[in-house]
Amino acid sequence: MLDIAFAKPALPKAGALVLLIAEGAVPSGLAAELDTEMEGGLSRALEAAGFKGKKDQAVTLWAPVVSVTKLLVLGTGPIAGLDAEKLGGSLYKQVSGEPHCTVAADELTASQAAAIGLGAALRAYRFDRYRTTEKAEDKPKLEKVTIASADHGAAKAAYAPMKAVAQGVFLTRDLVSEPPNVLNPVEFADRCKELTKLGLEVDVLGPKEMKKLGFGALLGVAQGSANEPRLVTMRWNGLSGGKKKADKPVCFIGKGVTFDTGGISIKPAAGMEDMKWDMAGAGTVTGLMAALAGRKAKVDAVGLIGLVENMPGDNAQRPGDVVTSASGQTIEVINTDAEGRLVLADVIHYAIEKYDPRFMVDLATLTGAIIVALGHEHAGLFSNDEELASRLLAAGVATGELAWRMPLGEAYDKQIKSDIADMKNVGGGRAGGSITAAQFIQRFVQGRPWAHLDIAGTAWSSKDAPTIPKGATAYGVRMLDRLVADHYEG
Amino acid sequence: MIRLRREPTKGARLLRPIAEGPPHPSGFHGRRGEVLELSPQERWVGANHASSRAEWEGVGAACIAAAGPPARLALDARGLPPHCAVGLGVGAALRAWRFDRLKSCPPPRPRRIELLVNDPAGLASAWARAEAALAGTQFARELVAEPGNRLTPREFAKRLRGLEKEGIEVEELGRAALKKLGAGGLLAVGGGSAVPPRIVILRWRGEFRVPPVAFVGKGLCFDTGGISIKGAAGMEAMRADMAGAAACAGAMLALARRKSPCPAVAILAIAENATSATSYRPGDVLRMMSGRTVEVVDTDAEGRLVLADALHLAATRFRPQAVLDLATLTGSVITALGHHRAGLFHNDAALGTAVAAAGEAVGERLWPLPIGERHREELNSDIADLKQCVPGGTRFVSDASNAAAFLREFVGTLPWAHLDIAGMETAETDDLPAARHTPTGFGARLLDALVERHFEDPHRV
Repeated sequence: MLDIAFAKPALPKAGALVLLIAEGAVPSGLAAELDTEMEGGLSRALEAAGFKGKKDQAVTLWAPVVSVTKLLVLGTGPIAGLDAEKLGGSLYKQVSGEPHCTVAADELTASQAAAIGLGAALRAYRFDRYRTTEKAEDKPKLEKVTIASADHGAAKAAYAPMKAVAQGVFLTRDLVSEPPNVLNPVEFADRCKELTKLGLEVDVLGPKEMKKLGFGALLGVAQGSANEPRLVTMRWNGLSGGKKKADKPVCFIGKGVTFDTGGISIKPAAGMEDMKWDMAGAGTVTGLMAALAGRKAKVDAVGLIGLVENMPGDNAQRPGDVVTSASGQTIEVINTDAEGRLVLADVIHYAIEKYDPRFMVDLATLTGAIIVALGHEHAGLFSNDEELASRLLAAGVATGELAWRMPLGEAYDKQIKSDIADMKNVGGGRAGGSITAAQFIQRFVQGRPWAHLDIAGTAWSSKDAPTIPKGATAYGVRMLDRLVADHYEG
Repeated sequence: MIRLRREPTKGARLLRPIAEGPPHPSGFHGRRGEVLELSPQERWVGANHASSRAEWEGVGAACIAAAGPPARLALDARGLPPHCAVGLGVGAALRAWRFDRLKSCPPPRPRRIELLVNDPAGLASAWARAEAALAGTQFARELVAEPGNRLTPREFAKRLRGLEKEGIEVEELGRAALKKLGAGGLLAVGGGSAVPPRIVILRWRGEFRVPPVAFVGKGLCFDTGGISIKGAAGMEAMRADMAGAAACAGAMLALARRKSPCPAVAILAIAENATSATSYRPGDVLRMMSGRTVEVVDTDAEGRLVLADALHLAATRFRPQAVLDLATLTGSVITALGHHRAGLFHNDAALGTAVAAAGEAVGERLWPLPIGERHREELNSDIADLKQCVPGGTRFVSDASNAAAFLREFVGTLPWAHLDIAGMETAETDDLPAARHTPTGFGARLLDALVERHFEDPHRV
């Protein structure tokens, strides 16, 4: 992770320097100091370049003084509308060739200074453990960013919880990026066990225990693979310390299909490699639990992930099979590629029985239909609880992880009626495909406050964004961390 | 077709809605969907706990579904509050409608329905109001039901001219006029057909001296897909691809019948998307009426092209206070919302809320969908100002939102709402007051209700 430090405003002894200048402002503070040292050279350069401080306007000077190798002057636009996190992300790319960079944020507040650090750190993420021949000069060199802030003590304090959340984000991105031959359910569970060092209680169930619990839906999905399924529970007792049975915990549930071939209802070859990230819901829950523990959130939270691989093995479940879920409800499997909801059904039932949660949020790369409905900017949000839904939407706006409310209703629920069992696992045809999937899940929540995020369109990005490099986005970690921080702590 | 009476005439089969309660010895509870044949002349129909008008419409529809073929029916609304009684009658009328003009020997069906109420005279004005909306819906349904060989663009325009006798001004812009206006989108889409495209403008002057509310409708009399031809399976349903225009025309009829004080105008883009030697092609670049250039990607995404020109005409010629377009636009909205709700897109929160509320009130339900930055970005073209849609390939494409982002480029700063009614123009489920597989007329009652609720307050204008 990129090292972010905070220091008193002073011109650096070495490395790159970034000056931030608001629209219409004259260089002051460190910028004025540098201008003096350059004998007015900075002012002349900015005037020659027509620099007005407009948003994203940039001027680069190489080695303007002996101690600075590269000077980047960035316009911020009107300071009131500054998105400091995005700015941090955008400036990373422009200084990543220097080993060290100082950002002059002496005109900004402590929280803005911290947000610049967060943005740069999030953008600096790379998943390169499988690149063995990459040349050193092709790798980014930036190791440390020092943010020069008037109130650097406060900025550092503001950054500490952000860093913990960023580490959660990176854990999620790592898990989602890992190839499916490496990250199978057993390996995923092993990685979760490492989180005990953050203070999480981690509990892993294998097929024997799940069979005892009656997890017919989850086990049906898993039975076609040579890799055994796992159910991982991660508990963070930040409020009660695990001693007294105080509040009901908040509960997060993730779909973790480490690879989804579709099973017997096999997917077409084109694009199937993307199905390694069909465990992104579980990846997000894992990163979220690490974030909550990392910043010592004052909340009792439990994260549950159902880990399976959906393979067309010789014992794979067939279309037409009827399975009995842990709740006792029977399910006719029409399409073995609608497996995520089968996994969630059992995990949700277990969560209710074992933890009696205050609310449940499940995350799943569940349907292609949600991409057709909403595209890649918004995840689909389904909920039976208005308060929880509006809090999630607001947390999404605050963190840039957007969600869009989708409908539920009896008319859609009718679509999953089965002739032979309590329900079937697809709604018949493509019509309203993500809604019927949500209706299926709702049949297992026993009327508890619940929200379902269909993240099939937002878990993976095909292009770089300011704070999210192309690839695994870890969508949901920051949103749900924010949800907890704003409403459920203390 | 429906008459208000105090007592049933002799020989009429009585249909009595029964609210849920203790069971009848037969086991009948009054739940929704339950029917009890009490005697040859009387049937009870479960009304559950219906309370809203839309719920009573559902009960009315259920009564007709349970009635069987006798020529005379009497629905018992005695004792119901007026809005429930009206709802019962409206639901019955909507469900009883049939299109059997093309059957040599139409199956027997109820010819007359009586709505029994305690005070027929007292309910007369409320019922007249409801009848205006029913007339609009039925006009829309007739048009949607007509097959493509009968309802050509020429015939569609001819039927719309029939609205002149209702006090609606009808203006038709033919090929020459469209060329003069530079309607490159509509001319390209309709260019492959033996019958040329046209725009029909319907005007209701109303009383208020204010800019009109504008309705814009997609009127593809038949959509083969053009060069990007559709699969054969299910193509016959494409006779209904003019349902948006039909709903707009139906709404105009409703406004005229009830003498709405609000001025309104409907701009209907009418064409046939045919596969022929003169069809437009993928890769073509069109210059639209607004002057913008559009790169064609898929000739089956034709609706947005004809709407773009119609929206531009509506905005520049009438400067309306708000513009609403209705179109069976994308398959994507069916994937998103199924057959229970149409997609709602807008650029104005107040208008969006009003439209959604009007839909709830009449049981034509909508759900808002987003137009994100990315939806617009994806339409950037290498050769023209805009791409018409996002090339699909094997990827999932949020085409409904992309289409809405495309249309937004042609409305300027006007308050605008776009209703993607694909999947709702024909009843695919039993929860609508239309028989399965028949046209719903979706949108006509919604627009009528929107005008009444939102644009007829004299203090507002």
